[in-house]
Amino acid sequence: MRRRTFLKAAGGGLVALIGAGAAVWSQAPIFPKRPAPDAASALGWISHRDGAYVLTLPRIEMGQNITTALKQIACAELGTDWRRVTVEMHDTNMGRVRATVGSESIMHFAEPLAQACAALRDALASGQSEGEVTVVTRPFADLRAFRAGPIVGASPEIAHGRAIVTGAPLYAADVTRPGMLYGRVLRAPASTELTSRPRRWNSRAARAVPGFVAIVEDCGPPIGKARGLGIVTSRPGALDPVARALAVEWDMDDAAPLPDMAMLIDVDAHAPGGLPHLVLDGAPQDGLWDVDMRLDIPLAAHGPIEPRAAVAEWQEDGLSVWSGTQDAFYVRDVLADAFSVTQDRVVVTSCRVGGAFGGKTLCTVEAEAAALSRATSAPVKIQWTRAQEYALGFHRPPSSHRIRARLAEGRITDWDHAQVSSHILFTGAGVPAWLQTGTDMVIGDPGVARGMAAPYKLGRARAAYDAIRLSVHAGPWRGLGAGPNGLAIESAIDEAARVAGVDPLSFRLDHVTDPRLSDVLVRVAALSDWSSGPPQVAGARTGRGVACGIYKDTSYAAVVADVAVDACGSVRVTRLWCAHDCGFVINPDQVRAQCEGNLAWSVGMILTDDLPTQQGRVVAETFADAPIPRMTDLPEITVDLIEGTGPLSGAGETAIVAGPGAIANALRAATGRRATRFPLQPTEFAL
Amino acid sequence: MSFILNGYRQEPPAEWADEPLLFILREHFGLVGAKFGCGVGICGACTVLVDNVPTRACITTLDDVEGRQVQTIEGLAKGETLHPVQQAWLDHAVPQCGYCQAGQIMTAVALLNDTPAPTDQDIDAAMDGNLCRCGTYPRIRAAILHVAEGA
Ligand code: FES
Ligand code: FES
Repeated sequence: MRRRTFLKAAGGGLVALIGAGAAVWSQAPIFPKRPAPDAASALGWISHRDGAYVLTLPRIEMGQNITTALKQIACAELGTDWRRVTVEMHDTNMGRVRATVGSESIMHFAEPLAQACAALRDALASGQSEGEVTVVTRPFADLRAFRAGPIVGASPEIAHGRAIVTGAPLYAADVTRPGMLYGRVLRAPASTELTSRPRRWNSRAARAVPGFVAIVEDCGPPIGKARGLGIVTSRPGALDPVARALAVEWDMDDAAPLPDMAMLIDVDAHAPGGLPHLVLDGAPQDGLWDVDMRLDIPLAAHGPIEPRAAVAEWQEDGLSVWSGTQDAFYVRDVLADAFSVTQDRVVVTSCRVGGAFGGKTLCTVEAEAAALSRATSAPVKIQWTRAQEYALGFHRPPSSHRIRARLAEGRITDWDHAQVSSHILFTGAGVPAWLQTGTDMVIGDPGVARGMAAPYKLGRARAAYDAIRLSVHAGPWRGLGAGPNGLAIESAIDEAARVAGVDPLSFRLDHVTDPRLSDVLVRVAALSDWSSGPPQVAGARTGRGVACGIYKDTSYAAVVADVAVDACGSVRVTRLWCAHDCGFVINPDQVRAQCEGNLAWSVGMILTDDLPTQQGRVVAETFADAPIPRMTDLPEITVDLIEGTGPLSGAGETAIVAGPGAIANALRAATGRRATRFPLQPTEFAL
Repeated sequence: MSFILNGYRQEPPAEWADEPLLFILREHFGLVGAKFGCGVGICGACTVLVDNVPTRACITTLDDVEGRQVQTIEGLAKGETLHPVQQAWLDHAVPQCGYCQAGQIMTAVALLNDTPAPTDQDIDAAMDGNLCRCGTYPRIRAAILHVAEGA
């Protein structure tokens, strides 16, 4: 009723200018909580009624197919048929679970789920059919889910597969509500580190656009320091013309030019040995170096095909939000705080996420939708434009590395890795500068450090870094620091092998300390027939390279790459092999799929990933400005899984520690030139 | 202004006449299989078939499809029986996040309609404009070749 009145007013040309005077939004950041999952809380994930089970997924599904894997665990432990278990995405009415990040869903959630399922199974067997079950935690070895059987260790049809291939609604932007409107929050074309706000706009012109519903000044918390101006329309296609007609002028705090980002993170501009955060604390000796290389890796976008989206609806009893987020509970907490309602009055429902890769961990579009919904008393859907994804999201920080190594008798005796980058875990997008000063002093940024401790015997080894706040916000991106650090380290190790005059694979084996890492190296050598070298390609220089690494001390990968380089210097990856060990495997096909995804990202790190900036802000607006790998960029990929008995770990970010290095090393073998700037510039490798 | 949507003549209301086909499909007809990825014709997530030609719905107007056949992913299966391309996508577990896959499948369907036994080069030419950030390309290729072999 209320809604009809409202639309009539808008259609009749009344000014629907809502919430004049910007509200004061709280400045204190809300931090994501990270409860450890345990068997008792896992009971809330599984329920039984009349012979059928419902598994409420304690994770977000974003393509890692954790839905399928956890369903396999539940079925195996319950001893029930695949069709008897229905899986549902969670909302925040379930007990809190932490963000789906860090490849830890199998590592940390599989066992509690199995414990809960075992308790439920025993309760049912003893005749209990209603009420609550208590879990008595049993020894891991007594759980049935972690033995290969008909379900675990197999690869059943992926959950949601049928819905995906038939186009059924799954994602946040697929949600529809009666009377739903469409929104967007416009923000200044400036760095979100700068204070900006709308100064003037042409309401009259906007109102004249068919489909116009409202201009909303009070449109939610700022993103960084950028305040917005909200628009609401009755059809999504009206948002662009309304935005154009508004022709918003912005007040921008752009008095001082923003310092050049490349200069700020230039590793050689920092005092040698003066970087504040130590990852390896050895003391390499002074003197001449055998390897001394500089490597620069640029800012990069996550580039999921799904721009983030949310639908919000205020009703008498509170706020409902549907979102494709990696952390529904954090979004709930932020919304409750921002709109001054108690947490129990906000329900956030997790939708399947169309690719996240670490980027969908904050509350942004959800707060915009909630603000516009509150202002218009109607459900509002917002999906960011591609340009908003680049301008308002956070990104992989640029990083600048210098690595030096000295050798004696074919062994590395001294190693010094210096890195300057920007914050990842304490992302500038969520942590204000004053607070970052504190985290910098106390712990640095473990996200930047991830993967910086090279997994080799390096003699006197130092690794140190600094993180500098930049005008473009950086944050978690698949593998955090591990991808860039792996590329830098594996490039330097390859150069060291050349100095030693030893085959790079043998050289690695000589320096590896962890037998599981040796195993993947040996396996990938056999898989690729390493010593046979790359096949000839007419009119091209060809090369083969190898690299390896460990992710989060728990999972292992080694990759061999072949490349072909034409006379103009354009590089094609022609073949990839990967040996992978993440311990006991629940679903081999989907672990393989994660390896393939990591290798696609590895190709991207070398060939495409770059997010252009000017004057301290992102200027990319489409995939043409920030390309991602295409079908023709990817070669045939072969993955060899070591399905060990080792502890459960993750696969979502492992092979990216080795893939980029293998490709860069293949390029070195093909051309004699070491790639030190990415993405590759063909002119550097032209004949 | 009308067109044939998955076999049925449809006429969106006059207010929707200026909307891109993608939003007409998604928001007016509730056919949400085609996705918004970029809005400017680059990513292919919104691909539908217009008279069997893969078409970016995000930059297609109602004028462009007047009187024509528009097929979306929702119109592929016959009842419970999946189209061979859909089935191959499941058999090869192609989707990761899945967001690009409606566009990939529609492009593959058009390719296989025109070229039942495509070469790798045919696949490259047809599929290179459909982006997938999850990197499912090798499986997409395998699934297409699988359908071609079965044909
Ligand atoms: S949304 Fe149409 S091509 Fe990207
Ligand atoms: S499956 Fe995720 S973008 Fe293609």
